[in-house]
Amino acid sequence: MVATIMTKKKVPFDPKSLKFLTAVSSAEYSKPTLKMGALIASVFDASHGVVYVGERASEFHGSSVNLTRQNLDNWNIIHPGLEVLEWALKELKTLSPENEELAKIQFNPDHVYEEDGRVRVILPDDKGCRIELVLREGELVDQLRKEIQLEGYDLAIIGGSQNKRHLAHSILQYLPSSIFVLQKFNPRKKYKLLLLVDDSMATIKSIEWGALIAEKLGWPVRTLTVSKTKRFGAGYQGAADKAKAYFDSRGIEVEQFFLTGDPVRTFVEFAGDNHFVIMGASTLNPVKQFLFGSKPIKTLEQTDVPILIVR
Amino acid sequence: MNSYIDILFWIRQKKWLLITLVYGMFMHHFVMPPPDLNPAAFDALIIISMALILIVTEPLPLPAIAMFMLFMQVVLGIDTANNVASSFMNDAVFFIMGSLMLAVAIVSQGLDKRLALGIITLTGHKTWRIVAGFTAISAILASFIGEHTVAAMMMPVGLTLVRYAHKDPRKVAGLTAALLFSIAYGATIGSIGTPSGGGRNVIMMNYWAEFGAGSVTYLEWIKYVYPMVLFQIPFTVFILLWTFKPEQSNLDSAVRKLVVDVARAGKIKGREWLAIILFILVFLGWVFLSEDFGLGIIALLGVFLYLSFGLVEWQELNRKTNWGVILLFGAAISIGIQMNQTGAAEWIAHVIITNLGKVIDSPAILQGSVSVLLTGVMSNILSSSATVAVVGPIVLDLGGDQILIGFATAIASAFGYFTAVAAPACTIIYSSGLVKSKDFLRAGWKMGVLSLVSLLGLSLLWWPLL
Repeated sequence: MVATIMTKKKVPFDPKSLKFLTAVSSAEYSKPTLKMGALIASVFDASHGVVYVGERASEFHGSSVNLTRQNLDNWNIIHPGLEVLEWALKELKTLSPENEELAKIQFNPDHVYEEDGRVRVILPDDKGCRIELVLREGELVDQLRKEIQLEGYDLAIIGGSQNKRHLAHSILQYLPSSIFVLQKFNPRKKYKLLLLVDDSMATIKSIEWGALIAEKLGWPVRTLTVSKTKRFGAGYQGAADKAKAYFDSRGIEVEQFFLTGDPVRTFVEFAGDNHFVIMGASTLNPVKQFLFGSKPIKTLEQTDVPILIVR
Repeated sequence: MNSYIDILFWIRQKKWLLITLVYGMFMHHFVMPPPDLNPAAFDALIIISMALILIVTEPLPLPAIAMFMLFMQVVLGIDTANNVASSFMNDAVFFIMGSLMLAVAIVSQGLDKRLALGIITLTGHKTWRIVAGFTAISAILASFIGEHTVAAMMMPVGLTLVRYAHKDPRKVAGLTAALLFSIAYGATIGSIGTPSGGGRNVIMMNYWAEFGAGSVTYLEWIKYVYPMVLFQIPFTVFILLWTFKPEQSNLDSAVRKLVVDVARAGKIKGREWLAIILFILVFLGWVFLSEDFGLGIIALLGVFLYLSFGLVEWQELNRKTNWGVILLFGAAISIGIQMNQTGAAEWIAHVIITNLGKVIDSPAILQGSVSVLLTGVMSNILSSSATVAVVGPIVLDLGGDQILIGFATAIASAFGYFTAVAAPACTIIYSSGLVKSKDFLRAGWKMGVLSLVSLLGLSLLWWPLL
């Protein structure tokens, strides 16, 4: 199955049509997330949205807060959160000094458009830059889900969270895109790309994404296939072989590993702290995922390395 | 597959609604009311407890919670549709509606720049004097025009000073917190000063009338409560400077830049004078005519005048007024009245007195401490006005002088210093993103102690003299 699809369509998606979304929280904490977001967007030549999700005022006093904010506009004090987006734009320019179109863009807090509970910064001269800056207020998963649904994002890039267990379950279950969680991500560190390969359909896309990342970043690639029993079935073995064939066809060296044991525990132990994990999203029924979790959810809960879950 | 996820996501977002509905159905169908509580009163308590859960957890917009409280009274047979409708609208709701619209009308006049200049002229450039000026002016203004109006007008002044003091307000976190909290806490301590300081005061006046406790005029309220406002101002300044320790003792350069900014607005214009005069007329109406006409009707008359003179457009009022809050207070007062009429409030009061009476001998201390602590704690979780709407009927049934208990409750509802949700002024400064939740705790406990001591002093030393 894997082989058929791969040989028929070498690149079965058009990277230029991809849309990535990076969620930032502050200049202080989100620098690595934004940097990786920009890097991954450039790897895929995808358009890049940056969203800041701020706290929403209690509904009781919501109108008083809005009244104050409108009054603050008269004093040229910008809406809280817009300064994070201003920082994000500045940071994106620094990260892509060669991008002349991006360099021309000036942030103007007056040029914002409010609709559907979101504030979108209108960027002049943004032809060719494909940057979107959006401010939302409310609960993180709810707002990210709305943004992804509204704009049709393919990948959401999110920083690690203290409340990891809750975050892992909610974002993987409810965000309708691929998810990249940057846990303890160190931009200076040289990671090894670790692809978790099995016979599921989601593995195909994760291999394609992994190949693009490996090519661009020059990171060594490892594939890991884990079987619960000592015997590796034809499906697992075939998927691993085809993955290797795909990397070979693109001139990327790959190390293959076959281990037995509990899949999640094996992934986590193998990943250690120096891998960048890519795995396919679960194909389990959503109700089963909700009740019992899934391999990606459990892996995300238990590991501390950056992890990309491809849907 | 996606529809399953949509359903699961809906369940995630609405889990508190589902929990509340299950709780309500369980209580209504499977729990017998206590023998000394009639079924209608028990149902009123179920509705109010369900509404409280929904208000705190916010799975629904406020207007939906308001509608829930209204239709459930009829569905559970507590009262008829017409009676529920007539208990829904009263002068307290008129006042909340009028004061929210007046806030929009006043804030849109741009008087904040005049206010900034006035404060700076009074205080000079020293930080402690500016903090004192912000606290005092916020307190005095809030006692007449409401804390949300004052906070909305003062926030730009405070933030502009902070930004002129340092490019990055986080680098002067102490100064930022001292200035912003002087606005929030100033407005909060001031909001108890007169009936028009906050909707909760008018809600209590409405309950006094509903419970047959008598009436209190605008000036009588001031006589009873204003000394506490004045007493708390200097101590609040001390607490803020002690807690947040501003990094700069002199704001010379920031003040000069602010004055240049404000001076651009030119001399005060006829339109601004008219806005001030109209508010003074409203204020005089509250002082001298509210006994006959009601505070709410006068507030609405004020809105009518602002609209008639073209000082504000209806579209603006319509867009910026929180109609959901108005509906919610109407519904909360309606269920509060049912708590009184069905005997639910009296039953809770009886349970409290019977149980706590074993620990505290003096009825006066028991009544006072229960009303203050219950109100103070709930204000920090819920919101000050909603707390009075819910707790008011219970504390008025605790026994003792209903007017004094009512004053203590209305005052204690302003003790929402510990969280950002209690008072609108606190929510407003929190929305700037420059103060943190823990800042409310750092200064809040000191303010809580100050206010408790002040209220104790007021009730023991001042009220007996009146």
